[in-house]
Formats: sequence, C-alpha cells, structure tokens
Amino acid sequence: MIRELTRADVEEVFLRRTTATTALADEADRIGDACHAMAARFYRGGRLITFGNGAAAADAAHLAVEFVHPVIMGKRALPAVSLVTDPATLTGIARRSGFEDTFAAQLRTHARPDDIAVGISADGACVNVARALGEAHDRGLLTVALVGGDGGTVAALADERPTARLDHLLRARSGDPYVVKEVHVTIYHVLWELAHVFLERPGRAS
Amino acid sequence: MTGFEALYPFLYPPADEVPGDDDAGEREVFAEARRSTREKVAEIAALREQVLATHAEELVACAQAMAGAFGTGGRLFSFGNGGSSTDAQAVAEMFSAPGHPGAGLPAIALTADVAVLTALSNDVSFEVVFARPLAASGRAGDIALGLSTSGNSANVLRAFAEARRQGMLTVGLAGYDGGRMAEADTVDHLFVMPSSSVHRIQEAQTTVYQVLGELTLRALSCPGRPARGPDSPG
Repeated sequence: MIRELTRADVEEVFLRRTTATTALADEADRIGDACHAMAARFYRGGRLITFGNGAAAADAAHLAVEFVHPVIMGKRALPAVSLVTDPATLTGIARRSGFEDTFAAQLRTHARPDDIAVGISADGACVNVARALGEAHDRGLLTVALVGGDGGTVAALADERPTARLDHLLRARSGDPYVVKEVHVTIYHVLWELAHVFLERPGRAS
Repeated sequence: MTGFEALYPFLYPPADEVPGDDDAGEREVFAEARRSTREKVAEIAALREQVLATHAEELVACAQAMAGAFGTGGRLFSFGNGGSSTDAQAVAEMFSAPGHPGAGLPAIALTADVAVLTALSNDVSFEVVFARPLAASGRAGDIALGLSTSGNSANVLRAFAEARRQGMLTVGLAGYDGGRMAEADTVDHLFVMPSSSVHRIQEAQTTVYQVLGELTLRALSCPGRPARGPDSPG
C-alpha cells in the first residue's frame, strides 16, 4: 500500500532544514579558527586525512577530493586522502582488530605529526571516529570534528582533562541525521574555501 | 547592505565584532572569513527556498514514482563524477542501509565498484562506465538517478539514454541552467539547482536527494532514520 504524497509533505521536510541552516552562521568564528589552523598545517607540509561512517564516509571522500582537485580554476591542489575508499583495507582491519579500530589503525600507519585529521559523524556516536581523532591528537595531528545532535562521544574528546583531544569542534544544530549531513556539506565546502584564503596570505598562516 | 543582508539581517552582526588580535592584517583575514561564511550560509538558505518554490510539485511526483518503482520490485542505480560520485553512494546508502533492523530498499551506487569502473575506462571509454553496468543489470521498472553539477557529464547522459532504452524511471540532478541534461529527452524528473556555484549546487542537490529519499520512504510507510540530540539552536 503506497501513500499519496502532497505538497504539504515536501514543505514540511524543507521547513525542517531552515533552523539548522541559518544557525550555521553562528559557527562562523569557530569555522574561521579551524581554517586558520588547517592552513598553518598545509603550509608546514601537512596533509588532510578524512574519515566517517555510512553517509559520512561519502562526505569524507568528498572532502578529500575538494582539496585534491579543486572545482575552482586556479586554486592549487593540496594533499588530502580519505580512509574510507579501500574496502580491502577496511574489512581487513575490521576483521583482525575490530570495527572500532578501522580508522585509528590506518592513522597509525600513515599519519605524520603535521597532518590534519577530520572526522565526520552526524550524531557523534561513532566509536571508530572518536578513537581515530584521539589517536591523531596523541600523534600531534590537528584534530577537527564535524558532528550534529549532542555531539556524542566524538564531542566529548573536546572536554577531556587535563588536555582536550579535539582542537576544533564544529556542530550542526540538529538531531536529524539528514539535516546534519546537509549542514556538514556546507561546512566542508567553506573549510576548503577559507583554508585557501588563509593559505594565500604569505606569512599569515603561521 | 547587500541583497542577502537585507534578506537575512540576523546573519550579519555588527562589523566591529572581531577577534582580539594585535595584527590588523590578521584581523582583516579573520573578518573576511567570517563574512564569507555568513554569505555562504545565506546563499544556501536562499537557494533551498528557491528549489522548494520551483520544484515542490515535481519532488512530490518523483518521490511518488520512486515509491511505485520500489513497491513493485524495482531497484535504484545511482551515478555521478567527483563529488557527485560520493553523493551517488550516499543515495544508495540512504535506501539500502535504513538505520533500523530489517531490510532496506535495493539501491546500488555504480561509482563504488572500482573494478568495473577501471575495466570499462581502460578497455572501452570513460563515457560508458555507467551505461554499461545499466545495460548489464538494469530492468524495466528500475530507477536510474544521476547527478552532474554542470548537467554536461557525458557518462551520466549516456547512462540516462541507456536507462530510458530499458524503460527505467530516470531522475536527474543538475545545476546552472541544467546544461545538456535539460536538453536531453531521457530524464523523467529533472531537478536543476539555479546557482552558478558548484558548492551551493552540491549542497542543494544533497537536500533534493535526501528529501526525495524521505518522501519515498514516507510514501512506502517505511520507518525513517532515528534522530538523536537537540533539534533547535543552542
């Protein structure tokens, strides 16, 4: 039995997006700070490493390709890689050391202290993302998280004492995973754009 | 005051709110960054409103048709290049990994199979990487969903032609003026994001395919994805 949809259905789902979209403007300072720090890492020769699960795995791959192959002509390519694209590696790690280690294990193998780790999790409840960000921080990487909802275990890294293990926490103001994803796409497009803005000022990205 | 500032005054706090920093040049870059972020937020908010105003009826019709296709045993195939290849995978995940116990809906991203993609690119041409798998696996009653920000991706257009030949339901997402996708007569439901920014187009496309997903699941009375945490600012 298939229900008949109406215009009211589509208006309701669009309306659900508006609050979280406009609330993103309040994150402008935090986004700017993150981009400034990312530019400094790129300037020192660091690379971007991205990861996430499910729809956020697609976002991790998208974020990496933004940097490697910019859609805007004349912008330089910057080194970026996502940890989600190789099913042989992912399933190999999951089988031997458990799903929770899928991204952390790859970081232990590939990451260097100047690199940037960006973890994406719509509800912040991804244990493998949290573990990888913690591991990245302990290795000297800049750590950035894109979350939604209450931020979950990923956001909790920012509250760890004596030292927070998350440098930049960017949160979409919604508990709806679809809405969070859409806000995240805008956030990472802006991350790419502003990282270039800071990088293009010689001596500023210090 | 720009048009966006007039439309969204709450996005533009007073200009003297700048971070405490001694370096005036540094301060200016941070101010530029903040302005830029708020501008992008206003742009995507306005673009979503425009997409709703333009495409509301078509979104309802398309979701109804997709629900009909899934309801009668159809499968969905999604495809696109670059950032859109990741969108194709998000589309497939949205239907096939439902976020609750039980079966999802059969959806496959043609961008995820590197063996097929490289075999066809190497042996034939990049133009056929999506059309060939559809020729092999597609059936009448299936759904082909393709994304191209320019509307001009040759392999996406070839896939729509193949899908149409097979009697599949075809759904296209594009930007700018729709490009060649808008001129082709192979797309049953076409959604053009009226923007010249690839980034804003991709953000609006994400909304369109997720709205299509939500509405399709609603028409099929499938449970939605569980939400978590606060839904309001603060």
